[in-house]
Amino acid sequence: MKKDLGILLVFVVLCLVLALLNPRFLCATNLQNTARLVGMFGIFSIGIGFVIITGGIDLSSGSLFSLLGVLLCLGLVDWQLPWPLVVAAVLGLGGLLGWFHGLVVTRLGIQPFIVTLCGLLWYRGMANFLADDSTKGFGNCQGFETLAAFATGNVLGVPVPFVLLCVIGAGAWVVLHRSVYGRYLLAVGKNEEAARFSGVNTKRIITSAYVISGLLGAVSAVFFAFYANAVQPSSHGSFYELFGIAAAVLGGCSLRGGEGSVVGVLIGAALLQVLKNLVNLLGIRSSLDFAVMGTVIFLGVVIDEILKRHRHQRGLRKVQEADSP
Amino acid sequence: MKRRERIAWAIVTAMAVALSGCGQDTDGDDAAEVQLAFVAGASTDFWTFARRGCEKADRELDDVSIEFRFTTDGTAVEQRRVLEDLQTRGIDGLAVTPLDPGNQGPLIDQLAGQMPVVITDSDIPDSQRRCYVGTNNVDAGREAGRMLKEVLPAGGKVMLFVGKKDAQNAKERIEGLMEVVRDTSIEVVDIRTDDIDRVRAKANVNDTLVKHPDIGCFVGLWSYNGPAILHALKDAGKLGQVKVVCFDEEDDTLQGIKDGYIYGSVVQQPFEFGYQSMHLLAKVTSGDASGMPTSRQIIIPTRTIKQHNVAEFMAKVKALRRGESI
Repeated sequence: MKKDLGILLVFVVLCLVLALLNPRFLCATNLQNTARLVGMFGIFSIGIGFVIITGGIDLSSGSLFSLLGVLLCLGLVDWQLPWPLVVAAVLGLGGLLGWFHGLVVTRLGIQPFIVTLCGLLWYRGMANFLADDSTKGFGNCQGFETLAAFATGNVLGVPVPFVLLCVIGAGAWVVLHRSVYGRYLLAVGKNEEAARFSGVNTKRIITSAYVISGLLGAVSAVFFAFYANAVQPSSHGSFYELFGIAAAVLGGCSLRGGEGSVVGVLIGAALLQVLKNLVNLLGIRSSLDFAVMGTVIFLGVVIDEILKRHRHQRGLRKVQEADSP
Repeated sequence: MKRRERIAWAIVTAMAVALSGCGQDTDGDDAAEVQLAFVAGASTDFWTFARRGCEKADRELDDVSIEFRFTTDGTAVEQRRVLEDLQTRGIDGLAVTPLDPGNQGPLIDQLAGQMPVVITDSDIPDSQRRCYVGTNNVDAGREAGRMLKEVLPAGGKVMLFVGKKDAQNAKERIEGLMEVVRDTSIEVVDIRTDDIDRVRAKANVNDTLVKHPDIGCFVGLWSYNGPAILHALKDAGKLGQVKVVCFDEEDDTLQGIKDGYIYGSVVQQPFEFGYQSMHLLAKVTSGDASGMPTSRQIIIPTRTIKQHNVAEFMAKVKALRRGESI
């Protein structure tokens, strides 16, 4: 938890500033809206976080949203298949593609950056092709009202994606920080060779991280598609992988692998969405949108690094004090 | 050394042979066929309609083959590549949708030196293009402004949404709209952009509802802004409370008009962009200048779709999407 202090600090300060400058930030509707976005972006960010912890990277998420979104529309609207089947297929395909990434990375030894970059291009292309370059929409969701109501709905006033994020986040926290598998994951990321010599099946562990990323990506894909109620294959979800990666890195995942925390990723994802909210609520010119985001991410990472060094030095001093008679 | 020299000579000879082929028309089997191309923006429904127009022209014109190309990522850089590839291949006439009309003038001039070029969608008037076939976006903006005055007779706050504020058609639509509402009690609070991201577009509407609870009307300047506004209002339970005026003909927009939640939409006729530009180019390449207007502009009028004419328009759009000829 200590590790997440820096990013938590930035997040809290940001929320306070925003609430002071525009008290409407705290009104129920706005919290609901923002929570929905945090939910959607948070779910797949956790998956990307897992991959980053193994020392890999997943660049394919944004295109995956487009491909799976198009398939979701095709299945539900064009082919009129029962929605449980379509959703299961979409989730299954997400996991399968993740598994494929993992296999290529571990068995063929190709760098994850390249494997998932190919995914990024390929999925986008397939989405364009399958949709015949036109926007796929759900219209009034005839035949799958239940699914649409679920994806865009609330549980006791809390948006479903956010509820799901809490559940998945809790699960991921237990898995990463309290299970043997989580230990292995961190060990593999820190030093794959050492982990292998200690008897860890590193290939399986790494592959599983990509499967998790694919699966969680598919969950987010369903929510994104219903949030927009349409999927424009050429632009849907474009650059969203960078939000995932930024959230993970802000949350303390090291791109070198072996480090990361679920709570950190969640705060990171929330921070990015609150930033977008801030730009709108304060009426900052949309043009500055990305600049504001870049500045805050930069400050977050710098503050985190300073706190880390500070802790490290204090630790050193304590050790020295204990050593000296 | 000998061997290396030989290889070098072989490469030089091969290049010389290849280069000598450049600039000449490929005298293939279909040499008699005039090759025309339409280069559109990123793949969206809008350009799919233009494609149908090109396809219809292709069916009607003998001895003409028409190629329709999207610009995959919607950037001017990618478009330049597509255009130059077509130029290299040696086509006979070109219709292009400039993605960066402010800066693509020289590129258009370079192409126009080799073949007749027609511009659609966003004009570059001072270029060497033969003609412009498209909408007058300032007029389209004025039309939206007039609708604003109809829905807000007593005035009120208005928020505009668009993908990119610096895009030429966005600038012109805003200009036209502002001109109409200037001396009224309608106040345009702000313009929010979303970088062509539907998720962001909807979130922008949500944020506006929070920041300005007294907003009177939303204007969606690009095609997907209409549906984004509609769905945000639906989620907020404010359908019908905030008026909506938008552009283009996405399904949800038309349905929203039918249901009475959207007051009206200004639509262009991209089908005509494709159809008329191809017919014009076919005439020009065959040496017939009769179709060329003296103003060098063929303005395809916009239509205003409201509740009374939405059913007829929806049927037409559906037919176009299925690829039926109209």
